[in-house]
Amino acid sequence: MKRYAYYLSCINESMTKEVDRSIELWQKDLGIEFVKLHEGTCCGGSNLDYVSPKHFALVNARNIALAEKQGLDLIVSCNTCLMTIRSAKKKLDETPALKKEVNDLLKKEGLEYRGTSEVRHLLWVLIDDIGLDAIRQKVKVPLKNYRIAPFYGCHILRPSTVLGHDNPVDPSSLDLLIDALGGQTIPYTHKNRCCGFHTLLVAEQESLNVAAEALEEAIQLKADFIVTPCPLCHTSLDGYQAKALKHAGVESSIPIFHISEMVGLALGYSAKELGIKRHIVS
Amino acid sequence: MTVPIDQHIEQKQDVTFRIFRFNPQVDSKPYFDDYTIPVERGITVLRSLNYIKEHIDASISFRAFCQAGICGSCGMRINGLSQLACTTQVWEVLAKSREPGLIRVEPLRNLPLIKDLIVDMDPLVDKMKHYSNWIDSTMPESSMGKKEFLISEEEFLRYDKATDCILCASCVSECSILRANKEYVSPAVLLKSYRMNVDTRDALHGQRLAELVKDHGVWDCTHCYRCQETCVKSIPIMDAIHGIREDAIELRGLKDTSGSKHAEAFMSDIEKKGKLVEATLPIRTNGVFWTIQNLLPMAVKMIMKHRTPPPPPLVKPAKGIKVFRELFREMTEHVKQDHKSHKK
Repeated sequence: MKRYAYYLSCINESMTKEVDRSIELWQKDLGIEFVKLHEGTCCGGSNLDYVSPKHFALVNARNIALAEKQGLDLIVSCNTCLMTIRSAKKKLDETPALKKEVNDLLKKEGLEYRGTSEVRHLLWVLIDDIGLDAIRQKVKVPLKNYRIAPFYGCHILRPSTVLGHDNPVDPSSLDLLIDALGGQTIPYTHKNRCCGFHTLLVAEQESLNVAAEALEEAIQLKADFIVTPCPLCHTSLDGYQAKALKHAGVESSIPIFHISEMVGLALGYSAKELGIKRHIVS
Repeated sequence: MTVPIDQHIEQKQDVTFRIFRFNPQVDSKPYFDDYTIPVERGITVLRSLNYIKEHIDASISFRAFCQAGICGSCGMRINGLSQLACTTQVWEVLAKSREPGLIRVEPLRNLPLIKDLIVDMDPLVDKMKHYSNWIDSTMPESSMGKKEFLISEEEFLRYDKATDCILCASCVSECSILRANKEYVSPAVLLKSYRMNVDTRDALHGQRLAELVKDHGVWDCTHCYRCQETCVKSIPIMDAIHGIREDAIELRGLKDTSGSKHAEAFMSDIEKKGKLVEATLPIRTNGVFWTIQNLLPMAVKMIMKHRTPPPPPLVKPAKGIKVFRELFREMTEHVKQDHKSHKK
């Protein structure tokens, strides 16, 4: 059994509860144990870093230190949380004075940020630690009848100086996972583009245009569904889909799945068990 | 060690350049022309284009000048990615190409097309004018030319990287928001604005910042990092964008615009609960009226799917929030001290 600390993303605790629910269902099937970090706090969602860079460093040094205390890597299933916490880690590792200032405060909670735990995405764990062959062997219901559009989202790819797992121009990890689960991945030019989530409340029309573009291509390519490793992309592409497509004049729709649900389906769990019925677009 | 002669022979291959063509005076729609030429290792895309223009088809139009990655003229999309033709090696592009032996060459996106690979840079220049992308010196005119206007090394390092920008517009071409709305300020202009705003010799800081926080300005960036990823000079453009936002919050406060209110919500929620209170985020960002007008139909669907975020009292604080809050507030004191010493 491989053990990891699991970071609880705010959105997975509220709107996209199905992400963590489906991981809980299949983690043991793949020999994984995720230890939930209930003491962890919001990473700042790609906003705290400019509101207050020092609070941003403190909050995320603490998130990582909680995993380090258990001697575990920190696993994240939201792209933005991943990029945000990894950015903080990079800053802390490169700035000894900041690391010391933060650690002087963390000491009061019996914590220390040392920089020993890696911060990784769930998708990377599946590919690198569990392995595609092992996953393939566990598949009970191959997704062979599905044409699947892989939507990576931004913050698992860019900035590559912080992420560095996939080639941001032509990523492949999600395609490989789809293939291992028996699905048919389609050549989807929007795979590395943006979903518009981060400006939905600030520049709504622009965000909807961005989302509509990604949805339209998948619909034109006759994909059965789009799969994404990020609950924020899911919210933009699923929750805002009707609004985005209406504005773009497209009379169609396409379901959006989380990777955790796609894995669950292939491992034999039902749509109901995985919480897929909670999606806005069914 | 000597390299066998046959390896030298293999350092040459036929490459097909599929070039975007459009002459609005003649063509009803764009098309592609294929040109296959032998290319040796070490040859750039620009040299290949020059060869094609010189030997095969003189009608192809593109901009180029310095051939050394300095002037920024030859920005174009090479196999889908915006970059400089003069610093892009054909063999490196081929190594990553999905179609063996083929390189697609297209004009930059998000700027009006003039002909073939040439785009109109005027909209970008107009935005640079609109956002005052120059230094208006604080030195009295009477002193100019009589004494040096010195800056510290520490200050220079804040915008050193930003001065590397050669205005090639690769970032403009890759920008997600500009693609959605051509009115958007654009990453290159934000970078220049940041560079001017952190320069203490400049007198336009407040005026420029006031323009940057308006609609289509700095808050519309969606953090996709495409600009930074494509930058031919590896400039951390997002740091500049975040730098403008940090400055805006410091000088104009957290209640200034919907963008700053949105950002403020993260700060206050983390301090109070350690978790984001998503249910009230739209109201705190845009007010009740906007929220009802824009999000009500979606909220109804979400209620039906049991997908609504919990109301504030039901958002469970992170475990151990009391100690965390103490640390957070202590850091607030550190930041206040930093600001005081910064002002001194």
